Amino acid sequence: MAGNNNIPSQVDKEQIFGMAEKEMEYRVELFNKLTHTCFNKCVEKRYKESELNMGENSCIDRCVSKYWQVTNLVGQLLGSNRPPV
Amino acid sequence: MDKSMLGDLSSLPEDDKLRMAAMIDQLQIRDRSLLPLLIIFILRMYNSLVERCFNDCVDTFRRKSLDKQEETCVRRCAEKFLKHSMRVGMRFAELNQGAATPD
Repeated sequence: MAGNNNIPSQVDKEQIFGMAEKEMEYRVELFNKLTHTCFNKCVEKRYKESELNMGENSCIDRCVSKYWQVTNLVGQLLGSNRPPV
Repeated sequence: MDKSMLGDLSSLPEDDKLRMAAMIDQLQIRDRSLLPLLIIFILRMYNSLVERCFNDCVDTFRRKSLDKQEETCVRRCAEKFLKHSMRVGMRFAELNQGAATPD
């Protein structure tokens, strides 16, 4: 097919680099906030021991799962491009 | 990951060479973002851990040095947070890959 240029230009490559970097930064930030939030919600401040007990482990798993769901939900709402209800 | 790796692969068929080159390019995109991010991540973790454990464990300033209780508290706090962080990391990775997780 004449005129079909599949090689990304230098500008496109820079944009791809930039977006990939932003994506990475976003993920790191997400992980950090997730970690801190779930620690606050699930672990008692008294620090009776250095191990996580079974209750804390379950709480952490569920907290991460719910946080993830909230992230997706908010993402959907932001992405739908309709005025908020 | 540097281009000199391609030199060793010159004996490969054209198709595979192209695929290797594309993979190495991909990794360079990753590596460019990965190392500074990793450094920032670790430094942030260190700082926030210190802040957290200090706030949770140190409340009195009658003396200059930490007493036994405060020291034990800080040790437990740090260990606990690091274990917690690793667990969160595992779950996060699972969710990122779209794996089903137990309820």
